[in-house]
Amino acid sequence: MESATQDHPTTSPSATPAAEPMPAAPTPAWLQGNRRFVSWVGQWSIEQRVLTGFGLVFFGILVISIMSYRNTAVVVKNSKLDTSSHELVQLLGSIEEALIAAESGHRRYLVTGDDSYLKAYRGLVEQMPEFSRYLQALSGNSEHRERISQLEQLIRQQLDIETAAINQRATQGTEAVRHLALPGVAKRELDDIHRLIAELESSEQQSTRTRVLHSAGTTRSTIALLALGAMLQLVLLGSVYFLIHHDITNRRRVAAELRRQGELLQAANKELEAFSYSVSHDLRAPLRHIDGYAALLSKTSGEALNGKARRYLDTISDSAKQMGQLIDDLLVFSRMGRQEMLHSTVNLNQLIKTVIHDLRLDLQGNAISWTIGSLPDVPGDPAMLRQVFMNLLTNAVKFTATRPKPRIEIGATRDTPGEVTVFVRDNGVGFDMQYVNKLFGVFQRLHRNDEFEGTGIGLANVRRIMHRHGGRAWAEGAIDQGATFYVSLPLKRTAS
Amino acid sequence: MTTVKPILLAEDNPRDAELALAAMEEHHIADKVVVCHDGAEVLDYLYCRGVFKSRECGNPVVVFLDLKMPKVDGIEVLRTIKNDANLKPIPVVMLTSSREERDLAQSYALGANAYVVKPVEFQQFISAVKELGVFWGVINEPPPEGS
Repeated sequence: MESATQDHPTTSPSATPAAEPMPAAPTPAWLQGNRRFVSWVGQWSIEQRVLTGFGLVFFGILVISIMSYRNTAVVVKNSKLDTSSHELVQLLGSIEEALIAAESGHRRYLVTGDDSYLKAYRGLVEQMPEFSRYLQALSGNSEHRERISQLEQLIRQQLDIETAAINQRATQGTEAVRHLALPGVAKRELDDIHRLIAELESSEQQSTRTRVLHSAGTTRSTIALLALGAMLQLVLLGSVYFLIHHDITNRRRVAAELRRQGELLQAANKELEAFSYSVSHDLRAPLRHIDGYAALLSKTSGEALNGKARRYLDTISDSAKQMGQLIDDLLVFSRMGRQEMLHSTVNLNQLIKTVIHDLRLDLQGNAISWTIGSLPDVPGDPAMLRQVFMNLLTNAVKFTATRPKPRIEIGATRDTPGEVTVFVRDNGVGFDMQYVNKLFGVFQRLHRNDEFEGTGIGLANVRRIMHRHGGRAWAEGAIDQGATFYVSLPLKRTAS
Repeated sequence: MTTVKPILLAEDNPRDAELALAAMEEHHIADKVVVCHDGAEVLDYLYCRGVFKSRECGNPVVVFLDLKMPKVDGIEVLRTIKNDANLKPIPVVMLTSSREERDLAQSYALGANAYVVKPVEFQQFISAVKELGVFWGVINEPPPEGS
């Protein structure tokens, strides 16, 4: 959250008129694009940014993992090919050795006729099918296969020629084959075989070398990829740590701040309590004395005083009483703000009846015509709500006192769902709507004290109590047209 | 009972004391009133010690107790009275400027017999003090001595 708000002051100055006096240096296109991207990202919420960042890093790690897996597979495959190529080279070496041994034995046999020299030759004939099978198994690519079948064919040809020579010697004697013995019977085939084997060997070596290079390259790239992956993971871990740390630090800071504020508030509340206590106790005493001594004075020497002096004494008493009333009202106002709220259900019909009774209104000479509608039960603090209607009805009675036919109407409406609105309407002196906001202020009055008495706290109290109930208080009126006061209460308990 | 039992008024403010006395004067009960100017003096009176060492011992008919007093405050005095088996029967009327719920609750919890907020208006003050004096000093039957 915080970083999002901090971003604005750093990015916005570039767009403010401060940058305009220097239009000479146009920003390069890439920088503009970059800025546009930055401001676009700047509009994201912190969650979006974090998710995007994590998504990118996860995607990177995924790609790296797949590539590393494939690289490893290549290296494993190459090493298998190396093994088979090594085996092929060994097999070719064995075959060549056997061929040389067989050929030289065969030549000696042709010269000497000693049968034991054919041992290597016979061994080769016996082993030939097995060699052939091995060669087939190890012939990897097509080029090799061709050469290997060629090789097999040559070997068979050589063996056939040698067999033919052996038979010739057996049927026609030594002389018939003597000319064959000196150079060897299958000289050409043998040379071809040597050449083919050499070719195969060198080709195998060649491809092994290629594979080794390839494997080395792949291994290097795998290592690089793994390092990159590790780095990305470190970045991921680092950002997770940073975010958590940032969050925790923020939370701690906020909690500490809240605690501090709470303590301050508690201290302020205590101070306020001590203050109003001392107001209630100490401020009242001198007023009592003023009034008391004025009364005693008028009693002891009332007859000696002239009319003017007696009026002065009365004024002193009246002022003291008025200030006493002010202090009392102010204390009630302050108490309404901090007093614990009682949560119960209040029967407004009953409440209004009691208030009217307590105000002794039915005994008043100036007969007020009352219209009281059906009122609902509402959740709230009975004493506080009583104070509200006490104030509203006192006002209504006070401001209709000058009317020949005072009328007061009380009713309830349910225009907004979830709340009930109660109104008190009178046909009294009313007020100018342009001062409507002053009505509910502390010590705010719209009438002079000699017109209507009052301390200017009543409606402030009404509004404060309604706020504590989660409701509202407002008024409508016009001069000499009466006034209507509304209080709305939520039907569900939301009070502080 | 040959001696008239006194009314004990604990009031640190001499003006308030004077006004109270003036009120009681009208009903001719002022001569029964003993005024103490702080909580310590009240306790001295009740325990017959200090300046009251030589007084004829016996409980007052009623104690009018201010809450805010120097040295020992009203609540402390009330606690001492109601925790002493000998003093406990004395009716104690809190006579104070404070209308605070906390003070009311605490006073009644400690066993105060009445709680009266001093009215600002002198006429009301006079009638309040007068009625209190007449009720507790004349009408009300005090507890028997030594109970």
